[in-house]
Amino acid sequence: MVIKQTEQKESMLKRGWWLILLIIIFLIAPAFLSEFYLTVLCEALVMSLFALSFNLLFGYMGQLSFGQAAFYGLGGYTVAMLITKVQFNFWLSIIAGVLVASVIGLIVGFFCVRLRGIYFAVLTLAFGQLIFSVVFKWHDFTGGDDGIQGVFPPEFLKSPTNYYYFLLIVFLLSAFVLWKIIHSPFGQTIISMRENSERTEFLGIHIAKYQLITFVIAAAFAGLAGAIWVPFYRSVAPSYLTWIKSGEPVMAAILGGPGLFFGPVLGMFIMTFFHSWVLGFTIYWPVVMGALILAVIFFLPGGILGFIQEKVNERKEIRNRE
Amino acid sequence: MFLQTQGITKEFGKLRAVNEVSLEIVKGDIHAIIGPNGAGKSTYFNLVTGYHRATSGKVLFKGKEITNLPAYSRCNLGITRSFQITSIYPKLTVYESVLMGLLSHRKVTLNFFSSAKKFFKEEVWRTLEDVGLADQANTLGDSISHGDKKRLELAITLGTEPELLCLDEPTCGMSPEETDIAMGLIKKFSEERGLTILFTEHDMSVVFGIAKRISVLHQGTLIADGTPQEVRASKEVQKVYLGGSA
Repeated sequence: MVIKQTEQKESMLKRGWWLILLIIIFLIAPAFLSEFYLTVLCEALVMSLFALSFNLLFGYMGQLSFGQAAFYGLGGYTVAMLITKVQFNFWLSIIAGVLVASVIGLIVGFFCVRLRGIYFAVLTLAFGQLIFSVVFKWHDFTGGDDGIQGVFPPEFLKSPTNYYYFLLIVFLLSAFVLWKIIHSPFGQTIISMRENSERTEFLGIHIAKYQLITFVIAAAFAGLAGAIWVPFYRSVAPSYLTWIKSGEPVMAAILGGPGLFFGPVLGMFIMTFFHSWVLGFTIYWPVVMGALILAVIFFLPGGILGFIQEKVNERKEIRNRE
Repeated sequence: MFLQTQGITKEFGKLRAVNEVSLEIVKGDIHAIIGPNGAGKSTYFNLVTGYHRATSGKVLFKGKEITNLPAYSRCNLGITRSFQITSIYPKLTVYESVLMGLLSHRKVTLNFFSSAKKFFKEEVWRTLEDVGLADQANTLGDSISHGDKKRLELAITLGTEPELLCLDEPTCGMSPEETDIAMGLIKKFSEERGLTILFTEHDMSVVFGIAKRISVLHQGTLIADGTPQEVRASKEVQKVYLGGSA
């Protein structure tokens, strides 16, 4: 998880055209994609937002959460229940989804931030499974293992293309906000905590407080990801809250590179598209995914994007020397 | 009254590491705590800075009792420390590391949307110039030499603009040249920034060269406290610590 932040930032700025090009590609993508692949792209965007929320904790604060899907699921369930049960306004439902995820994040976080490392990971896992169990067992309220179907967005968002643009806007805005947070004094503080929490505490920082704030922000964005996904998929199921779902951003971050802002996004795109593609000829998708993760851990320990960044920096250094 | 400890004691199980130490540190002084290995210097230090809580007794800072305050609160009151084993940010640049102290001290760490790099440029550069690390501003913390790391930690602590700076073995592991530079810096900061410095040290030439006041601990108990001349003359100190050689 080696991050050379200054270099990273400089290269990001210099290669801003990259980002603009990517955004243009995303803007015109629906014109070239079949409906199937447009759906996959939508999923990749939502899951990327989920992965970014997770990486705030993992890549930047240095704590591994294994219960992030609970907040993703809570966001989704809040929207599904508000829309189907009380015909609540779509936009307000999404805001409510974010709020519910944040409030539960505050409660769960209150306990988790007292611990670090493996204990933090296990406690987030325990809370995640606890929330999953409640949703799974409370049939009368949540629909239990049936989940909730018939969650429709407003009329103008019913076409996949329109919904895609809605998702893209939410993703870009969220990514921008998270990017700003990471590069703010607050972001610098949580990075310092990751690097040396004792030193940071002895500079006057109340570690638990900053961990809690980060935890709530991460929960809010995970909740947002769940909240915008459910109306597109028209349904929600308890599987959204399981530890298996929590494992997806972990794998995406490792695959793409947790030390770089867009690392988990790249990881999630690879996973989502690879998943759809591999399922075309084998059902043993986890085997293929496992092999891929193994290869990355052994050969590209900084993740794929981390590896690319490293190569680019090396070339730049050589050019500078010449 | 600046910093005062009243009969502070720290027990680890049956071991009494610090035994009812009552001591006063005067504002503006360079005050050394010395003693043989296991004398309780570091534990005393930890009680002052909040790393450990005292079993009994009181710690007062500027008239306020801080005995049970957590470390970060003590830092916010103006007490900052360095560690015996250099504690820096290995994967942050030298610049970013020093910036962190300032961000914390100037209370901007809850700013979520401004770029951190825009803050306190002048102060960071001034501190880097002061400790002589300006030319390594963009180097990562773990890529600089041991002596530079010690200086970096000093620079980080200075970022919090402390009133009382506690240095735990500031020259530990340094070459004689590096030691001279470090002691020169400490003296300079004490004079220029009006810092009060409390430090532990095993190197007697360093201690007698810079300290205005020396306290001697032996087996957790304070056995002498005074000017370097007084301490040097103390029979008890000579007996238990200096072995009559000083």
